[in-house]
Amino acid sequence: MARFIIRCGIFKGEDMTEATAAVAHDHPHAGIMRWLTTTNHKDLGILYMSFGGIMFFVGGLFIMAVRAELLYPGLQLLSPGMYNQLFTLHALIMVFGAIMPFATGLNNYLIPLMIGAPDMALPRVNNWGFWILPFAAVLLLIPFFLQFFGTGSGATGLGWMMHNTTLDIQSGIGIDFAIFTILLLGVSSLTGAINVVVTALNMRAPGMVLMKMPLFVWAWLITAFMLILAMPVFSAAATMLLTDRHFGTHFFDAANGGDPILLQHLIWFFGHPEVYIVLLPAWGLIPHILATFSRKPVYGYRAQVYALCAICFLSFIVWSHHMLTSGLPLAAEVYFMYATMAISVPTSVLVFCWLGAIWRGAMTFETPMLFALGFVAHFGMGALTGLVLPDVAVNAQHHNSYVLVAHFHYTFFGGGIFGMMAALYYWLPKFTGHMFDEKLGRLHFWLTVISFNITFIPQWFAGLDGMPRHVADYALRFSAMNFISSVGAFLLGLTQLLLVYIVVRCVRGGPKATGQVWEGAQGLEFTLPSPPPYHTFETPPEVK
Amino acid sequence: MNEHEKRERRTVWLVVALMLLVAVIYAATFIKLPVWLPALK
Repeated sequence: MARFIIRCGIFKGEDMTEATAAVAHDHPHAGIMRWLTTTNHKDLGILYMSFGGIMFFVGGLFIMAVRAELLYPGLQLLSPGMYNQLFTLHALIMVFGAIMPFATGLNNYLIPLMIGAPDMALPRVNNWGFWILPFAAVLLLIPFFLQFFGTGSGATGLGWMMHNTTLDIQSGIGIDFAIFTILLLGVSSLTGAINVVVTALNMRAPGMVLMKMPLFVWAWLITAFMLILAMPVFSAAATMLLTDRHFGTHFFDAANGGDPILLQHLIWFFGHPEVYIVLLPAWGLIPHILATFSRKPVYGYRAQVYALCAICFLSFIVWSHHMLTSGLPLAAEVYFMYATMAISVPTSVLVFCWLGAIWRGAMTFETPMLFALGFVAHFGMGALTGLVLPDVAVNAQHHNSYVLVAHFHYTFFGGGIFGMMAALYYWLPKFTGHMFDEKLGRLHFWLTVISFNITFIPQWFAGLDGMPRHVADYALRFSAMNFISSVGAFLLGLTQLLLVYIVVRCVRGGPKATGQVWEGAQGLEFTLPSPPPYHTFETPPEVK
Repeated sequence: MNEHEKRERRTVWLVVALMLLVAVIYAATFIKLPVWLPALK
């Protein structure tokens, strides 16, 4: 069977460590064909990261419209229906279109370099996995634009997990398109995840035992397993929703014996691990950056590996803390409360290891280090509030309030996006062969920190004062906080244009980067020139 | 069987096993377990 599959051409049949040296010296096509047909992990990494970057700005534009509406009380710019579509698209795009693809781009580019492999294990599947993404994005956005031409009722407006639905809340094509988008994203994510598992387990250079594998690869290996376990449930739930809507089944239809709460269970069984799927890649790369700029080895390597594994396990047994107001039995509420709080133990291990890495280190504060420290600080605030929210009594007050919005933006933006930006600045010279403008990088960091906090700190206060989320209008007493938050959001959005300028300038030229790039950098990728050649580690390195 | 063939074979079996796992989880979701678990009702 193994032979049969290889001959079917699903994989490049060549051995990835030995025969590749003899066979796979094909040079890239010129122009657009290079990017359409490439199976090279570096090309695909760049494609994934570029796609994630573009979608980051698309998702950002949607939320600018939302914040413009919330600048003043009353309805000025958007109808409530349009408002729902915009925040839903913002969330779906940022999570599935921006952060996840960007992290996947990093893994594509870096994992083979970090483990001394010539490419990912399944290069053709890798190409397929990427090119599904643009079609999924178009599918998600088509109904949004069609409504302006009088066709359909717009895109989905049910929130990123679509669990606000009963079947009658929104009809029309928007939800169906979102369901097909989810199914496509599922295929893309699963092919990527299987690729990562096989690459990490089967393609390591001689001498690189699992406990010598870089933490970023560990984090991605665990993330990949989480995707493999959680994504099929999400896809199945989306399929059930589709058959309920169009094929006469009643999985979630209470009027016909179905159970709407089942949809929440299934979606959050995916949704909570998804939070860690977004965060784990960042948790894996931050120790590398902190160690580099502290001139120390990674601190608490084994403890971090075990903590990541523990978080993976715990993330699958806490999903109903998102449903504490849905009428669960008291015993279940108490269980989910304590199980969720238990996640703070391995998370604290990680935070203490990050702090241990910089303790008494010879620290310097280049842009990647600033973003890494910003990550620790902001993610810490998101994590601490995450410890409070599953408290059953507290949750009853804060459920669906702006406290929740502030909390998950401190984790997703403060954790995920700060982490991705730290990684981008850290490895950008490796990718491009040029150093970026350090002064502009630092300016970008400080403007991001300031505008991020101006945006989200007021949302804590609005939430504590009782402002619900998912509403286009609000009571007058929330005006000041919303005004400040909107101004911060506009500044945060504008600041990211500076990032584009820095990256484009770095790609086009600048001082040459050495192979080592940063003085304290460690790892196989830094033994290669910057940028690395098109084919690398054709002869596997020996790891001691 | 040389090391190259062994690795190739391991890769294929790993992929097949993971794809089967995905298929099983997808199918098992339709059992609607949360509806039947007394602790969640």
